[in-house]
Amino acid sequence: MRPLDENETTQVFEKLFKFVGNNLKNIVENPSLEGPDPNPGRYCFRLQKNRVYYVSESLVKRATNIKRDNLISLGTQIGKFTKGGKFQLTIQSLNLLAANAKHKVWLKPTSEMSFLYGNSVLKGGLGRITENINPNDGVVVFSMSDVPLGFGVAAKSTQDCRKMDPNGTVVIHQSDIGEYLRLEDEL
Amino acid sequence: MPKKQKIVLPPELPPDVPDEEIEVSDEDLQFVNENLDYAGFLSSLDTKSINKHVTRVADVKEDAVEAMYERRQMRKKLLDAKDKEENELKVDPVDALPVKTLDGQLFYRTIPKTPRKSDGESEDVAKDANENDGTQTSMVKLTKAEKRAKIKKIRKEAKKQAKEVQTEEVQNASQAEVLDEVKTELTAEEARERMKYRLAELGTELLMDPESHIKSLKEMLDISKDEDLGIVRLGLKSLLAVFKDIIPGYRIRLPTEKEQEMMVSKAVKKMRLYESTLLNAYKAYVQKLVALEQQAVHRRVAVRCICTLLEAVPHFNFRESLLAAVIKNISSKDDVLRKMCCDTVKSLFINEGKHGGEVTVDAVQMIAELVKAHNCQLHPDSLEVLMALSFDEDLGKRESSEVDKKSNAKNSKKRKNFVEPKKLPENEKKRSKKEVMSQTREEVKADYKAASLAQDVAERRRMQSETLSAVFQTFFRILKHALQPRSEANAVECTSGSHPLLGQCLNGIGKFSHLIDLDFMSDLLDYLRKLSGNGSNVVGSSENCLQHLTVSERLQCCIVAFKVMRNNLDALNVDLQDFFVQLYSLILEYRPGRDRGEVLAEALKIMLCVDRQHDMQRAAAFIKRLATFSLCFGSAESMAALITSRHLLLKNVKCRNLLENDEGGGSVSGGIAKYQPYASDPNLSGALASVLWELNLLTKHYHPALSALATSISTMNSANNQVCHSNVSPQQAFLALSREQESFIPPSEITRSNNKKKRGGTSSVSSAGSKLDTVSLVDRNEVKGKLCEQFSVLSDIVENKRLRNELDKTNLSLKLYDQYRKQRKKKTT
Repeated sequence: MRPLDENETTQVFEKLFKFVGNNLKNIVENPSLEGPDPNPGRYCFRLQKNRVYYVSESLVKRATNIKRDNLISLGTQIGKFTKGGKFQLTIQSLNLLAANAKHKVWLKPTSEMSFLYGNSVLKGGLGRITENINPNDGVVVFSMSDVPLGFGVAAKSTQDCRKMDPNGTVVIHQSDIGEYLRLEDEL
Repeated sequence: MPKKQKIVLPPELPPDVPDEEIEVSDEDLQFVNENLDYAGFLSSLDTKSINKHVTRVADVKEDAVEAMYERRQMRKKLLDAKDKEENELKVDPVDALPVKTLDGQLFYRTIPKTPRKSDGESEDVAKDANENDGTQTSMVKLTKAEKRAKIKKIRKEAKKQAKEVQTEEVQNASQAEVLDEVKTELTAEEARERMKYRLAELGTELLMDPESHIKSLKEMLDISKDEDLGIVRLGLKSLLAVFKDIIPGYRIRLPTEKEQEMMVSKAVKKMRLYESTLLNAYKAYVQKLVALEQQAVHRRVAVRCICTLLEAVPHFNFRESLLAAVIKNISSKDDVLRKMCCDTVKSLFINEGKHGGEVTVDAVQMIAELVKAHNCQLHPDSLEVLMALSFDEDLGKRESSEVDKKSNAKNSKKRKNFVEPKKLPENEKKRSKKEVMSQTREEVKADYKAASLAQDVAERRRMQSETLSAVFQTFFRILKHALQPRSEANAVECTSGSHPLLGQCLNGIGKFSHLIDLDFMSDLLDYLRKLSGNGSNVVGSSENCLQHLTVSERLQCCIVAFKVMRNNLDALNVDLQDFFVQLYSLILEYRPGRDRGEVLAEALKIMLCVDRQHDMQRAAAFIKRLATFSLCFGSAESMAALITSRHLLLKNVKCRNLLENDEGGGSVSGGIAKYQPYASDPNLSGALASVLWELNLLTKHYHPALSALATSISTMNSANNQVCHSNVSPQQAFLALSREQESFIPPSEITRSNNKKKRGGTSSVSSAGSKLDTVSLVDRNEVKGKLCEQFSVLSDIVENKRLRNELDKTNLSLKLYDQYRKQRKKKTT
């Protein structure tokens, strides 16, 4: 376990920024409520076996006692670095993203399942969408009852969405909560 | 003209003309019978005074004049009122010689209509009149009967004074030796009277028969060039009345040279002469008006004339200069002028049928220019007129495809400055092409247009789209201007109301939002977002420009954004998150006295009540904030806020956790475990973790309606989903309560003091005051007695105290004395 180096930090923050915008400040400065310490510490990012974790400081202190080989996981995993050195958000980060999301898309109940099987969001399945989404922005996908389902990348801007035909792709799928079942081993 | 000839018998004729010689045509009889009312004043004519005036004149022809008067009295029942009046006032014996016309007919001169004109001219007029057949003139007269009656009344009033003038004139002519004396006596006053009278005469004649008297327009114009203010004013007004009536329902086009060379029939020639004279006079008049409009003295009259003229005949020639003058005054500092001009423009917009919409286009474009020229610093009224515009409902839809094509071509340009809709030049090009094409058939087209009342659809659509683009050009310019950071120079002076037009502009965008082109939409929303954006993330310079906007204006921005969205993006449910964030923080900045509550109520209604769904977190945050808000503001605002939050609670079942008494919110509270009241984003405030304790306080609100509502909200629980949707919107509630506020007397006051009275049998002195207010209905004597009782008790107590004090003192002194005695005894012993 080690803190991220400068290059890695930039990559992680850039990726998170796509989804949460200015709320990134919120993620970094959020006071942690874990541990018995009287003054709550902050959360920080830690790298362990190519995976990036969002951990409270008090937990980090305690985790230093454990050998690196034996440490499987700590805090919340938010993503991993691929073999090629790119950073990728994983589904565990969904809670963090959903709480701070800037761009949201709500799915109609009929198209929820399709998304949870790993398909992209089509215009026809769109229940609601925040305005001012630009192409390539990170979008968090919700069900109509505000349950976060996953996240992806916007294919079209909000304005363009209006003119599209119902079969056009609005959000390109990246990750969804169906992965907890489908990719149980990898996670 | 047999009638006139008969009536104006020359004085030389013997007085005993037999009646049968006077041929009174049936028409005349009929006319008099029909208009007995108008002829009625004849019977009330002051013949004595007339006679006196006439006889006073020491004249050689006195007899003749007298004879004429006598005769007229004899027949006056039969005479047309109008003609008689003219004759009576105008007859000049010198002119009363018979005249031989070209066709050999002998007839006696009628009273010259325009005595000051050269003889040749007046003869022309007479001939013209002669050529017209009698029926036509009588027809004209009948149709103009009403107008004439109106003017006759005016003239009747002026008659007596005028008579004096007339007699003086007669005197002048006859007595040469006293001429100089009299001339000096002719004061300016009399001259003015004469002028007035002349104006009235000319006007009447023109109205009676415009074709034959069209030349007297020139004279009226001359009169109105007088130095005298009053005369100028009168001249302008009477010309206005004349023009209003005689201007034809079409636009006059002067014949081209080629056309003039062609041989035309007599009637056409006459018509051409008439039209060109009319047009020239009108041109001179309009130019004069526009010139006078610059002078402070005549401004109001001139502007009034211009406005009336434009309103009455917007189709006629030279309307551009009229319109320009009106638009120039549309934001005048003078309230009267501004109101006049605004009303005129509004009526132009509303009655488009009168001018086929062309003036609308011009006016709107001129307003756009005006706004541009004045850098958006105008009176708000000048934009209010745009609200009167109306567009076809399907205009936007059908046009949109057209505009799409165009805008694709110049997308790159638009990105740089998006506000300039480039439609105008293109349309003009198109228009000019059209004109070239149709020039040859212009006449036919004009005829066709006049014949067919309905405009062709394409033309109408083109004009409407032009108007629309000018309107939005104006609106966007204002928005853009509002965004620009102030320059240092005028940063000082613009403290309040630096964007006078913004409010109206936002209203306008809201009204026409369904017509906005989709391509502008994103930019428009962007601008609105920036405008409504506040100090949360502004830095440095941008803060300078934004702090000028009031809370109401920023609220309006939010409202407009929602309206635009709702009207255009029905198919797609778009969530305007940023505007919710703005509203969330604006609620905190709202001050009841300073900002307009209606706007807030409207914002609450449109953004929170009408909108379909909300995030749970956001709804909770708004509920919490509105409840807090309603604790500290007036009852009307609180009512609106409470109704909104009840609505939100009814819709979002999960938010009812707020009503439970355990903090933390349990599983629904989401990522944020603690309520953060200062968070600027409703999504991050963690309001679900809090409790709506405010409601408990509000149940004790002094206003019964508020406390009842608060109670009903707090008893609402998550288990049963009762459907008690009341139809009251926050807006209605706000209005009702704010109206009520003035007359509202807190009822709780009375009940409380009544309770006190029941409880407190022996009332203390302090409560006596409050009792006084309430028990005024109760027997006064009773109160008096009680009060007396109380005060006597009180004085008794005081007396008692005083006595006790005295007693104490004496006791003390006795004790002291005793001690003293004891000590003395000790010393002595």
